[in-house]
Amino acid sequence: MRRGSLVFALGVAVALFAGWVALPRALYVQRQQPVEFHHKLHAEKSGVAECRDCHALRDDGTFAGIPAMEKCSGCHSERIGESKAEATLVDAYIKTGHETPWLVYARQPANVWFSHAIHVRRAGLKCTECHGNYGESDQLKVYELNRISGYSRDIWGHSLTRLHRSPGDGMKMSDCEDCHRKHKVEVGCLGCHK
Amino acid sequence: MKVTRRDLLVWSAGAAAGLMVTPVPWKLLDDISIWSQNWGWIPQPSHGPVDVKQSFCTLCPRGCGIKVRMAGGWPVGIAGSATHPVNRGALCPLAFGAHQLNWDPKRLRAVRHHGNPASWEDARAAFAKCCNEGPVVIVDGHPGRAASVVLEKFAVNRGGQYRVVDSTETDALRPYEKWSGVPASELGYDLENAQTIVSFGTPLLDGWGIPGQFTRLWAEQAAGQNDPQLRLIQVESELSRTAARAWQWVPIHAGAESALASGIARVLLEEKLVAARGPVPLMTLAEVAIQTGLSPDAIRDLTRSIMAQRPVVAVANDADPAIAALNVLLGAVGAPGGIVRRSKSSTLQVVADSVIPNARAVLLDSTVPWDFVPKTDAEVFRFAAWDAGLSKADWLLPAPGFLEDLTDIPSAPSLPVDTYAVAPNLVRAPHPVQNAAQFLASVNSSLPTVEQIIHARCDNLFRSRAGRLSGLQPTPVTSFASCQKLEEELRNGGVWMAEPLTESFRCELKQWPDPFVSSRPEGWSTSWTSGVLPPLASKLYQESNLRDARERRNA
Repeated sequence: MRRGSLVFALGVAVALFAGWVALPRALYVQRQQPVEFHHKLHAEKSGVAECRDCHALRDDGTFAGIPAMEKCSGCHSERIGESKAEATLVDAYIKTGHETPWLVYARQPANVWFSHAIHVRRAGLKCTECHGNYGESDQLKVYELNRISGYSRDIWGHSLTRLHRSPGDGMKMSDCEDCHRKHKVEVGCLGCHK
Repeated sequence: MKVTRRDLLVWSAGAAAGLMVTPVPWKLLDDISIWSQNWGWIPQPSHGPVDVKQSFCTLCPRGCGIKVRMAGGWPVGIAGSATHPVNRGALCPLAFGAHQLNWDPKRLRAVRHHGNPASWEDARAAFAKCCNEGPVVIVDGHPGRAASVVLEKFAVNRGGQYRVVDSTETDALRPYEKWSGVPASELGYDLENAQTIVSFGTPLLDGWGIPGQFTRLWAEQAAGQNDPQLRLIQVESELSRTAARAWQWVPIHAGAESALASGIARVLLEEKLVAARGPVPLMTLAEVAIQTGLSPDAIRDLTRSIMAQRPVVAVANDADPAIAALNVLLGAVGAPGGIVRRSKSSTLQVVADSVIPNARAVLLDSTVPWDFVPKTDAEVFRFAAWDAGLSKADWLLPAPGFLEDLTDIPSAPSLPVDTYAVAPNLVRAPHPVQNAAQFLASVNSSLPTVEQIIHARCDNLFRSRAGRLSGLQPTPVTSFASCQKLEEELRNGGVWMAEPLTESFRCELKQWPDPFVSSRPEGWSTSWTSGVLPPLASKLYQESNLRDARERRNA
């Protein structure tokens, strides 16, 4: 009887270790962004005060996302520093005319339709409520790719249990539903899945 | 210590119990479900900037204005363009999913000769050889385009024949062409000014003409009113959706439309309900009653009811001369609220017969409906974007798919005013394709290109200083500083609209036409005969039973 309890407890312990320690390490693979980027530095040096100064909505209301190379080349047409990131940006992308292949933390599956214009302009949500406080970061955080789903860890959120999350941590459908419930805005299936 | 089988089972039970208090089952379930959405064979839109382009649907000659949602340079969604002056945001179910057609498994990806792979050079050499050996017949499904000019020029230069396949609306206007000499392609229906419309089996509210055009008119002037401003009288053998919503449904025996038109004409003349005199139908009212299933009194009541609110126009579903003659008698030809002339620019065209004798080669443009299979001994070269089977063509030549070809859009067949638009090629075909005009130009290099003809047409519009461009802001042509600006606007989704033509036309009717057997109702909902259907259209159109599909109706 005692031997059986010990073996059972051993099984529980192995599963707990696998579930809480090994899985998070095995599930995600870390990827570096192609170019290091300082949100805070850009905000200070170029006088950018609002997220939308760079991550703009187009005239027709669609979201432009990460600024195109054209925006970067306005200041970085030639190297304006000695850093390795500066050299990569100018030589590999701006001079060759290739868009920087940024790894997008908030990229959603193709069957999700989301309008930034409705959420920012009509609902008045702040960018940080979904994306966290990127604007004050000194460096880009490491992009963690989920080996199975192929999306960023930021979609699920950093806590595997999804408990005690900070604002902007996680962008699952349940997060959208929670926020809509909180603001008493009803959207059916076709609101997001066209 | 020896590990027993029992130990392994107990350990596994412990591990299973332990896993239940970890995020593993829930997290893996979520990840695997997302993984299953992203298998390699599931088409995914490209990542990239999302953009909306204005263009036009080219699947049928009606040329509805569309908004194309592009992601990473590829179309991922289509909606009606609210700024288009004719369809005003409405679309048929097929157009909503038209961007999916390019990825249909039946897409024709390479030249095929008698079912075997061949090259463009082989096809060109074979066609050139045929042209040298005998006459060539070229068949066009959307006449009036810039590409049509190339097709016609080639046929004329080679001493061959240029033939057209009519849309259902143009087909219904052919009798007026015969009696007046005005080409059917110059005629249209002025339904906006009509107060009573007698529809002989035409699906006006579920599939006729430009999607949304009549539906809106009916909604504004008739829906929900006991005594509407616009009376729709539907003559049809079955209670179709149009019949169910019409002001009056007149159930008659199937195929008796022509007889009823003759009966109405006889009552009009006998009771002197019309000012004009015309040939009296040979058929007596009693004979009409037997054919239609209506009593003579019912036909008289129907005629009086038709004449109670004018102008009146009868709309046919095919080239039924009795219904056209009824319009002549009603004074609906060449008058507001009836059949009107919209332009004076086109020439008489010869309709293609399914039997094509004495030709060495027959070339079918990709706009020719798939079910047009010519009976001929000639070598048949068929352009098509999709191979839907059952084609007896010797050569199948892959044509550009949806939004892959630059083309212009002449007036839709049922419109009362002239329009012109240009649909740019928004995407590149994933494999080598050619349209018929490019193919013919490679055989005869003296032919103009579609690009050149479109440019010349824009130049003519600019020089004419007539009409206006409909878009977000309607702009008179006189406001454009140069032809380039006008062409640029047209290529960005603008639609040129002429002023309504004030010139009338007359039909000379010497004798009442012979009886005619009507065909089944046709419209945009049934006229797509390429044999392929986008998944979205299947969902919207077939499963939701918006209109019975042909195969279901014939089942």
